[in-house]
Amino acid sequence: MKKILAVTACPTGIAHTYMAAEALQQAAKEKNVEIKIETRGAMGIENELTAGDIAEAHAIIVAAATDVEESRFVGKLVVKVAIGQAIKDPQRVIDEALAMKPAAPDYIDQAAQSKEPKKSQITGPYKHLMTGVSYMLPAVVAGGLLIAVSFIFGIEAFKQQGTLAAALMDIGGGAAFALMIPILAGFIAFSIAEKPGLAPGLIGGMLASKLGAGFLGGIIAGFLAGYIAKWMKENINLPKNFAGLVPILIIPFFGSAIVGLLMIYVIGSPVKAIMDGLSSWLTNLGTGNASMLGLLLGAMMAFDMGGPVNKAAYTFAVGLLGSGLYAPIAAVMAAGMTPPLGLWLATVIAPKKFSVEEREAGKAAGVLGISFITEGAIPFAAADPFRIIPSIMAGSAVAGALSMVLGATLKAPHGGIFVLMIPNAVGNLAMYVLAILAGTIVTALLISVVKKNKTSV
Amino acid sequence: MEISNILKEETVNLELAVSSQAECLHVMIEGMEKAGFVNDKAVYLAAVNEREQKGSTGIGFGVAIPHGKSSGVAAAGLAFARLAKPIDWNSLDGNPVQIVFLIGVPEKDAGNEHMKILIALSRKLIHEDFRKKLLAVNSAAELYAVLQSI
Repeated sequence: MKKILAVTACPTGIAHTYMAAEALQQAAKEKNVEIKIETRGAMGIENELTAGDIAEAHAIIVAAATDVEESRFVGKLVVKVAIGQAIKDPQRVIDEALAMKPAAPDYIDQAAQSKEPKKSQITGPYKHLMTGVSYMLPAVVAGGLLIAVSFIFGIEAFKQQGTLAAALMDIGGGAAFALMIPILAGFIAFSIAEKPGLAPGLIGGMLASKLGAGFLGGIIAGFLAGYIAKWMKENINLPKNFAGLVPILIIPFFGSAIVGLLMIYVIGSPVKAIMDGLSSWLTNLGTGNASMLGLLLGAMMAFDMGGPVNKAAYTFAVGLLGSGLYAPIAAVMAAGMTPPLGLWLATVIAPKKFSVEEREAGKAAGVLGISFITEGAIPFAAADPFRIIPSIMAGSAVAGALSMVLGATLKAPHGGIFVLMIPNAVGNLAMYVLAILAGTIVTALLISVVKKNKTSV
Repeated sequence: MEISNILKEETVNLELAVSSQAECLHVMIEGMEKAGFVNDKAVYLAAVNEREQKGSTGIGFGVAIPHGKSSGVAAAGLAFARLAKPIDWNSLDGNPVQIVFLIGVPEKDAGNEHMKILIALSRKLIHEDFRKKLLAVNSAAELYAVLQSI
C-alpha cells in the first residue's frame, strides 16, 4: 500500500496548520490510505517525519506557507499545495499525491538515505541504555578525575578535614559519584518514557546507589521506572480536565512509589543477602589457596564495580588488611585497576569497536584505572554488559591471581599508582606491576575480540 | 482547562443578526468585554483585523475563526456566534459564514493551554458532524456540552 506523508504549516500556526492536518487525516481515512502528518504550528513541530518515514513514503504533501525544511525531501515525490487547498479539498490533494509516479530510479534518494546517521537504527532497550550511559559518562569522568587529583596530595590526604584534598574527594566521591547511578537510571527511564520517566528513574537510581546495588541495580531501576512511566502515560485516561495531572502528579507519585518499593523490597533484600553470603563464604574459604582466592577476588571486583559483589570482595580484603594480611588487598586493588585500564587499552588497539564518545572516554578511563577508580569502566560495562563484564572479570581474575601467586602485598586500602610510588607500601613491586599489566592486556584482548565493530551495529 | 472558563454566557450569541464582518466582530468583542476577557476593545480589534488581513480566517464550510493575541486581552477567552443570516467572510471556499468563533489570547500568555483548546477546536471544525451539532445548539448550556467533547 502506498504511504503518504504530509507537512502542514501556516504563519500564525494557530488554526490552519491543524485544520489542514485534520482534513488530510480524515480524507486519507476515507480512502483507506496510510498517512503521517507533521504539524508545524503554535505547538512547535509535532509528529515529526523521520528519515525512515520519508524513505518509505510514496509521496509527500507540503501544505505550507512557511519553510518546512523541504531539503529533507530531496529525491522524493512532493505535492505542494496552498494550505487552504488542503482544508477545502483534501480528497483531491491526496489523489494527486497517490497519482504521482517516480521519474527514474532515485540515486539522490539512496545517497541521502545512506547519509542518515547509523544512530537512528539503534532502537529498543539498547538505545535506552546508551542514552543513560551517555548522560552518566561526564559525571563518571568528572568524579573519577577529581578523586584521582585528591590522591596526589597523598592517599589518605582527603581524610584531613578542611584540606583541598578533602574538598576534591567530596566533589568527586561525595557528589559526582553519588549522582552517577541516579543519572544512569534517570536517563534510561527518560529515553523510554520521556519527561514523566525522569523523576522515577532518578529516584530509583538513587535508591540503587544507597542500597549498594551498584550500576546493575541502577540499570534495573532505570528500565523499571521507564516502562512503568510509559505504561502509565499510555494507559491512564482521566477526563480531559484532569489529564494534566497525569504527567505532573500521577506518574511522578505512583511511578516513584512503585519503583522505590520494588527497589527496596525486591532488589534491596537480595543485594544484602548476596553481600552477606559472599562475605561469609570468603571468610570460610580462608586464605589457604592463594591463587584461587586471588582469582575469585579479582573476578568479584570486576563483576559489578561498586555493587554488592564488588563490595563483598573489597570489604573482605580490607578486613584482612586490618589483621595484617597484606596479599588479598593487593590482589583486590590490582583487579580493580585492570577494568578501566584494559578498556583504555582496548580503545587504543581496537578503536573501531568503540564510538567516538567511548574512545574519548577511554582516555579518562586510563587515568581512573591507574588511580584504582574501577568506576571508570562502568559506562562501558553498562553500554554493553554481556560482552564487557565477562571480559573485565577474566582480566581482573588474572591480575588478582597473579598478584597473589607472585607474592605482592599492599599496606594501604586504596590509591592505585600513587601508592606504588610510596616506598615500602607495596611488597614485591615489580611482580605487582607485572600482575596489573597482565590483567590489563588480557582484558583489552578479550574486549577487542568479543566486542562487535561499531560500524556494523 | 474548563471550557466554561473561557466561554461565558455573555460571549455566546445564538441568533445574531448582523450584516457585515465588522458589525459581527463589534458585537462579539462587546460580549468579550462584558465577560471580562477583554479590557481594551480597540487594541484587541486591531489585532484581530491585522490577522484577518494576513489571510482570511474563514476556513470554509460556513465557519470563521477570527483570533488575536493582544495586550487588550485580560484573560484568554472565546466567543461564539451563530448568525441569523450568513455573511461574507472572504472565506477560502468563497461561501458565506454562519458560525464564528472569536478567540482572544493575552499578549503575555505563558501557558499554552488555550492554544491547545484552540488547536483541538480547529481540528474538530473540520468534521461535519461537529459543525452540524454547532448549528443545532439551542442554549449556551448545549454549546458547552458540544465543546466539552473536544
